[in-house]
Amino acid sequence: MVFSYNWIQSFFDKKIPKPDKLVEVLNLRFAEVEKLTKKGNDFVLDIDVRPNRASDCFSHLGIAREVSAILGVNYKMPDFPMKKKAGLDINDFISVKVKDPKNCLRYTALLIKDIKVKESPKWIKERLEACNIRSINNIVDIANYVMLETGQPLHAFDLDKIEGKKIIIRKAEKKEKINTLDQGNYVLNQDVLVIADEKDPLAIAGIKGGKKAEINQKTKTIVLESACFYRSSIRKSVRELKLRTDASIRFDHGIDTNLTRFAISRAGFLIQKLAGGDISNNLIDLYSEKNSAKKIKLEFNRVNSLLGIKIPEKEVFKIVNNLGIKIIKKSKDSILTEIPTFRQDINIQEDLIEDIGRIYGYENIPSEFPVASLISPKKNLDFFWEDLIKKVLKEIGFSETKNYSFVSNKDVEFFRFKNLIELKNPISLDYNYLRPSLIPNLIKNIIKNQNDFNAIKIFELGRIFQQPKLEKKMISGIIATKESKPKDTFLLLKGVVDLILKSLSITDFYYNEHKPTPEDSSKSIWNLGKCAEIKADDKEIGFLGEISKKVLKNYNSKLNIFVFDLDFQEISRLSSEQQEYRPISKYPAAVRDLAVLVGWETKVDEVLREIQKTGGYLVRDVELFDIYEGKELPEGKKNLAFRIIYQSEDRTLSSLEIDNLQNKIIKDLEKNLNWEVRK
Amino acid sequence: MKNIDLKSLKKKALNDIETADNIKSLEEIFKKYLGKKGELALVFRSLSSLNSEDKIKTAKKANELKQEIIDLLNEKKKNFKSTDSREEDKEKIDITIPGKKIELGSLHPLTLTIDKIKDIFQSMGFEIIDGPEMETEWYNFDALNIPKDHPARDSWDTFWLGNGLLLRTHTSPVQVRFMEKNNPPLRMITFGNTFRFEATDVSHDFQFPQFEGLMVGKDISVANLKAIIGEFFNKFFEQKIDFRLKPDYFPFTEPSFDISISCLICGGEKCPTCKNTGWLEVAGAGMVHPYVFKNAGLIPRDWQGWAFGFGIERLAMLKYKINDIRLFRSGDLRFLKQF
Repeated sequence: MVFSYNWIQSFFDKKIPKPDKLVEVLNLRFAEVEKLTKKGNDFVLDIDVRPNRASDCFSHLGIAREVSAILGVNYKMPDFPMKKKAGLDINDFISVKVKDPKNCLRYTALLIKDIKVKESPKWIKERLEACNIRSINNIVDIANYVMLETGQPLHAFDLDKIEGKKIIIRKAEKKEKINTLDQGNYVLNQDVLVIADEKDPLAIAGIKGGKKAEINQKTKTIVLESACFYRSSIRKSVRELKLRTDASIRFDHGIDTNLTRFAISRAGFLIQKLAGGDISNNLIDLYSEKNSAKKIKLEFNRVNSLLGIKIPEKEVFKIVNNLGIKIIKKSKDSILTEIPTFRQDINIQEDLIEDIGRIYGYENIPSEFPVASLISPKKNLDFFWEDLIKKVLKEIGFSETKNYSFVSNKDVEFFRFKNLIELKNPISLDYNYLRPSLIPNLIKNIIKNQNDFNAIKIFELGRIFQQPKLEKKMISGIIATKESKPKDTFLLLKGVVDLILKSLSITDFYYNEHKPTPEDSSKSIWNLGKCAEIKADDKEIGFLGEISKKVLKNYNSKLNIFVFDLDFQEISRLSSEQQEYRPISKYPAAVRDLAVLVGWETKVDEVLREIQKTGGYLVRDVELFDIYEGKELPEGKKNLAFRIIYQSEDRTLSSLEIDNLQNKIIKDLEKNLNWEVRK
Repeated sequence: MKNIDLKSLKKKALNDIETADNIKSLEEIFKKYLGKKGELALVFRSLSSLNSEDKIKTAKKANELKQEIIDLLNEKKKNFKSTDSREEDKEKIDITIPGKKIELGSLHPLTLTIDKIKDIFQSMGFEIIDGPEMETEWYNFDALNIPKDHPARDSWDTFWLGNGLLLRTHTSPVQVRFMEKNNPPLRMITFGNTFRFEATDVSHDFQFPQFEGLMVGKDISVANLKAIIGEFFNKFFEQKIDFRLKPDYFPFTEPSFDISISCLICGGEKCPTCKNTGWLEVAGAGMVHPYVFKNAGLIPRDWQGWAFGFGIERLAMLKYKINDIRLFRSGDLRFLKQF
């Protein structure tokens, strides 16, 4: 909100600090001054008054009070001795009925007769202009002027245009229409509060005046309104009508109901001064409850303990006093204070301590380390595993990316996602669902980089979301390459998954062939011959494979894309930090190779398991070191070459023993008639 | 006539070869036994003094010995070939050929920033806590003393979800969730994505990570906040950092501050980065509001403490001199691979 420097100065007899100095003072003691601009012989301060202080500081008077409290200099509101006309009774001219006292907390009205509507004097115009308000005529300008001065929005109606001489504050009727000043046309709903005469709405309460009772050159008698509306009601209407005004932003922050009388007298005085006329001897002032001053106990102990510094009691008294807060009782450990009603933000003693702290100066509070017990923090294992996986992936050449947590309509179409959580107010169609998978955005990362790199390895660890309320972390990675050796890439990525799981000490996992139902397979995003489920504990913990060419085409990918997708929650649950050292055997290991000719459909894993089953604990390790499919082999066959390491932990194995075991393995393997051990 | 003792000569030669430990000594052995004036040459020269039968016998033996020594020397030479420095010299490496590329991946700059933050606070005894990104209105607003229809809610433009939840607008809900489950004294930090329905530009994004700290005890004060925050700045930026607290307003803290550091670009001399103020605003903070304690099930009179919240991207931008916030989620490897 913008404020005029000269106007603030006008509340003081003494010179206040120069504009740039004042900015510094307000920054450190009150609120951020976002901009200081010279305007003619005045300066305009754009102050980011925080929402809690809007009720009193969306006004020059409020800022002047703050400056006074901070600097300890007295401020003075100009006098406004209003001359009332004896015998001029407002009730003879108009009646006011508040039909909705819950939303119209106070309604104060004043009548001024025989005024002369004309142009405003220069000094009013200048001050309005400094605050970006256009001058209309003296009456409207004074209403605005007093709002900028006191924070109380006012409105003037032309009495002669009020039908039935009645002002009724009520909810709008269904589809009721109003033409506002500034040529607006609004259709109202029944939540909107209006100021109406017998027939029509004259104004949208607290937001905007209507055309019907507008002040113009011919206006002779006005009804001046100074009211207080319930802030939630105003907020609702503002949102509904998408109409935000200088008045509405003051009302929707809540205003002190006691302000109506003060402001109406000030405005009456100025109108009389600048437009002449007679002021009614009385007001109409309707309210159900008076806003009375709160009493708050302030304990010195609490002040010192919260701020961490002992502020002398004398200093506390001075600050409290400068803030216009009354001390009504002093005792040894505390004081009882009475908070002026304009400070609606002060409700508990901590609110008061804030004011003491900021005016005392936060820079005067020392840095002091807390006294706390010397215990090491509880380790968060999830983060520990996260860090570990990220480091492993980094070391084997993967770059980490972080994407938005959203996917687009297109992604959803390409991937045929289900159970999505939709945003009610997306920022754009590119981001209108929460991502149910990390994969679409990772693919988009590849597309973004495919012109600069021939081979890309990236990963992301982040959260995915699904109906109804599922939120979980996933770790997904991609190898994208121009080369078309799918088996090599697949196995490389499989090695990556092995490494991740092994680094978390997960050993009991395996890969299962993905067998989708015929219906699913037509929709699959995976290249079905080149993908696998990753399983542990009889659960699917992830997936691995090549993205189908159809999907790649949709995204215009020039590279082949292989993806792994792991459920972080699952692998974190399975992992264990306790890695036990396995003693290195003192006894020599013996190596024997074994080649098996099998049908091409045979899974390596089947043969491996058979070897391990027969070999038992003396087989320390079996490694597949070659797969060969070639012309020299019989049709439909492949050769698997294994290296078996035999070792015992308690003795040297004799060659006879090893040979016997190896022969037993061979015999067992050949029980399967389709397998032939090559000798 | 001198007796020619080929047996002991052989023994001596074999021993010499056996003990030789480099190519040079092998050459000396060759000279010593097979050279023009070597031991075997002497043997051959002395043959003339023998009778013809002995001459033939000895010459045969001497020739056998000669061959045996040559074979052994050659055999031994092979062993040395690969390790002898002079041999290697023959194969010269052009050391200006670029080294073979070993590709290392990279961690996202925000991950590196978070790691650093975690390290600093963990070393001061702060626990690291996680919280959901989809939140309820209660935890995101009401529990934090931000009632419905309150103008304070305007500061947090919210993404609303089809399942009745919202995307958290800050990490502060984790404070309440943590205090519900743990009894003071408490020290924790949390971090993660937050979301606000805002237009994006070089310094604003609608999705951004925050980190939040909370310390609660019997007498945890503003002075303590200043000490911990100051320590964090010095360690994070690896230099002495000036900072200041200014009054601010958050519904969930009272008093509330914003925390600014002396501009890292101009050192407080005023420059475009700090909008000519000499200061950079980096965090919001304050003393936990008694209502928040109450909403988390703690008795407000018994406890006091502070909380703060930082934008992690802002810290990363300052640390790595990144000028556009949108780079973080660009997925551009030319950017990401620099870390």
